[in-house]
Amino acid sequence: MNKLSDFRYTMDSCNHCGQCKWILPHKMHGWDFAEICPIYQHYGFDAYSGQGLLNNAKEVLNGTVSYGDGLEHLLYTCTACGACDINCKSVRDMDVLDTIYALRADCAEKGALPESVKKKGDAVTNTHNFYGLPHEERSSWLPADCGEAPDADTVLYLGCAASYQHKEIALAAIQILQKGQVPFRLLREEEWCCGSFLWRTGQTEAAKALVHRNVELLRSQGVKTIITACGECFGSFRNGYPRFEELPCEVRHISEVAVELIANGKLQLHPVSLNGPVTYHDPCMLGRQSEEYVPWDGEIKPYGLLDPPKVWRRGEHGVYDAPRAVLKAIPGLELIEMTRNNEESFCCGAQSIDEEFRAWAGAERRREAAQSNALALVTACPFCLDALDAKEESGLPCYDLSVLLASALEGGEA
Amino acid sequence: MSLSRDIYTQLEAIVGAENISDKEYILAGNRNRTPEYPFEYHTADAIIMPASTEQVRDIILICNQNDICFVTTVSGASADAYPNRGGTLLIDLKRMNQIIEINTEDCYAVIEPGVRHVQLYPELRQQGFSYAIAAVGPGGSVLSNFTSTAGENHNMYGASRANRYLLGMEYVTPEGEILRTGSLQTGSGWFCPDGPGPSIRGLLRGFYGNHGQMGVITKAAIAILPCRGPRDFTLEGHTPNHKVYQNSDSTQVYLFNCPDLDAACEAILRMGEVEIAASVTKFFYLTLAVMMTDSANAFHELWPRIRRELPIPLVVYLAPESTEELAYEEKLLFEIAEETGLVRAASDLENWFRCHMDFFMVVGMLQRVLRLGGGWMPIKLGADSVTHMFEVGKSVPEFIYKYTENGTIFDAPDNFQIAPMEYGHFAYIELLFMYDRTNPEVGKGVAEFRQASRDTDIAHHFHAETPGCLNAVTQQLGPLYMNYHLWLRKLREAFDPRNLANPILKE
Repeated sequence: MNKLSDFRYTMDSCNHCGQCKWILPHKMHGWDFAEICPIYQHYGFDAYSGQGLLNNAKEVLNGTVSYGDGLEHLLYTCTACGACDINCKSVRDMDVLDTIYALRADCAEKGALPESVKKKGDAVTNTHNFYGLPHEERSSWLPADCGEAPDADTVLYLGCAASYQHKEIALAAIQILQKGQVPFRLLREEEWCCGSFLWRTGQTEAAKALVHRNVELLRSQGVKTIITACGECFGSFRNGYPRFEELPCEVRHISEVAVELIANGKLQLHPVSLNGPVTYHDPCMLGRQSEEYVPWDGEIKPYGLLDPPKVWRRGEHGVYDAPRAVLKAIPGLELIEMTRNNEESFCCGAQSIDEEFRAWAGAERRREAAQSNALALVTACPFCLDALDAKEESGLPCYDLSVLLASALEGGEA
Repeated sequence: MSLSRDIYTQLEAIVGAENISDKEYILAGNRNRTPEYPFEYHTADAIIMPASTEQVRDIILICNQNDICFVTTVSGASADAYPNRGGTLLIDLKRMNQIIEINTEDCYAVIEPGVRHVQLYPELRQQGFSYAIAAVGPGGSVLSNFTSTAGENHNMYGASRANRYLLGMEYVTPEGEILRTGSLQTGSGWFCPDGPGPSIRGLLRGFYGNHGQMGVITKAAIAILPCRGPRDFTLEGHTPNHKVYQNSDSTQVYLFNCPDLDAACEAILRMGEVEIAASVTKFFYLTLAVMMTDSANAFHELWPRIRRELPIPLVVYLAPESTEELAYEEKLLFEIAEETGLVRAASDLENWFRCHMDFFMVVGMLQRVLRLGGGWMPIKLGADSVTHMFEVGKSVPEFIYKYTENGTIFDAPDNFQIAPMEYGHFAYIELLFMYDRTNPEVGKGVAEFRQASRDTDIAHHFHAETPGCLNAVTQQLGPLYMNYHLWLRKLREAFDPRNLANPILKE
């Protein structure tokens, strides 16, 4: 992981142009849904934005602002969704999100983590899952026979959310691979949290240890491919792990695999009970933040020339098309887009520590989905699913993509 | 310096606790120096976000009662949107963000200060309208586009500067009185900037927005113009390498290289005479190369080619109503091009414009120049006849080579644009230069370069200087050149005796 001081160039380069706060012109639609930064839209102060966080990072470095007066709350109310980063990079060569990550690491290093973040981090370290639940419960519920191929070099990585809170997603992913005749196996009790929460919240040492453990496990088991149905895990493997050490295998999202299986005729899809227009919410870690992180250690020469050239992660090559292709392939479904889509998706707020903000962000996204005239909202990350599911509130039903696809394999209830 | 608890509590009572803050991390969001300015901003004592004209008035009354300076901001893209002294309250108007009315019959829109280009422009375009949009990107405040800048823009060819389209306004004076101007004053609506009696639009607005403006404009009507070009486009790919195709067979973009500046001037004037095109610009060549690339490294690769092939680029956007009209405009354009010696650019370069042509989107990409490190500065920015602007352009070699050769600024001596307005009856010039802001030695050279540009203008009696620098010119030439600033100072003293509202720095 880079240190805060490594991003001095980015901090000094910010011209307060506001690109980090507003939807890019080619996605514009009208007055509503024009903001791209959830915390900026909700709180209004410029400090609550990519630009404001860069300013604060610079002042932390300079010693003119310190933690303890609310900065740490701002830092973790921000979901680190990366919209600011992508928008900034549409016109600049700056690393806004990585500066935010470095500021978080600095905050953690100085012992200023908000209590809830620290507690959750400790839970991941101690129980190997995001929820702090007993590790045995991670896989004890799984059927003994999931159609696994013991010698398969492909692993279906279920993740904490699908193992504990959304078992239907795990079962759906298993069913998709079974039906598609993809040889795979599960890690079962050997699977631990991917560590996304740790590295994204700046708990670097704990993240490093967990990443190392997982990498060693995958290496020792000869895993060549990880498939996951969790957007958070997917982004973590692709974007987070290379910050610590090389991942010894490729990572694929279940939607990417499913698209191939559908194209090859290995998955036959039938109408589901849901019929009509649906809209798709791009999870940040599956979309704009899922590009592979390529470490860069070079020199920034005058006029922005990087020596050696850097592989920029600008959200251009995130997983956007595969989930959409899956939805389009299900008979009876029509895909329509929200204003803020693809790399310009609006974060659901799931990763914020502020409950009130989290509720607002989810409601804001549901409002956008409803205005698109969709009958349902679909996403591909269980954390997004939690944030977007209206629960008791009246509103659009929200589905997980894998669950919807699995039901189309049966032609049953979505 | 900080606000007393008593004053803070009074302000908090107006807007609510969640809309005012004096916490350091909040203030830090609005005080760091940006790389193009050579000075540090002052920190505000507090930032307050009112939601209505009445709240603005109440805030200003408290400022007056307690001798507190105030500065307004929306996007923060301008240095004038930051405190220039201690003891200042920053009034952030972003919560006042409503589009109050779009009147397509009388061709105006009424907006609050917090409405951004990326919000108003699509709303208008859906109804077949547009407006003069400055190149500030999606988050720029529409209102300040009309009230606080001179308003140069790339879609003004068939129109004019943005500040000419400011209509009725609602305004809170420096001492806290709500004033309505133009037709609004007599209850006749927003459509006209001036009511009975002498016009006070210029007085309230100031010559160059924040360089003269007093008080706070809380609502303004702007004239809207028919949208040139289609209402829809097709998007392909993802940022930053997305493409936008116009859904129209009656629009087209052409990119030419001009043999010299005289030819460019002649072509622009002749296109204006026959009234073709929606936009014509003698474009910046360095800027063009940055816009066409997705990183600074990619720019450095493309730049030698642009410098060789397109030293004097001319962008012509044709957007008539029908294919027949397009054929007519193309015929005239090609005749003018042939007679003035314009040469079509290579198809890959011309196609870049065709894949991005919506001028709002194109000007949004102008910020890509910041990829070269963030050290940049536009100078000149004056406006006069097309011919005069080209004379100014031709004088650039007189002063620029010293600074490109000694490394003060990036070696792109012809990086200026001349954008005609009013079908060639008027134009403005902007010389955009880059400097290496990471080199502390360069700072002095930049100031010297700007002065050299100004000296050249003065020596030639050019009317080419940015309004923001006119004071420097008048200090050199004396009031015979212009005495506007002296009157401005007197007016401000009359309306704002304590110099609280957007205070001018003492010189």
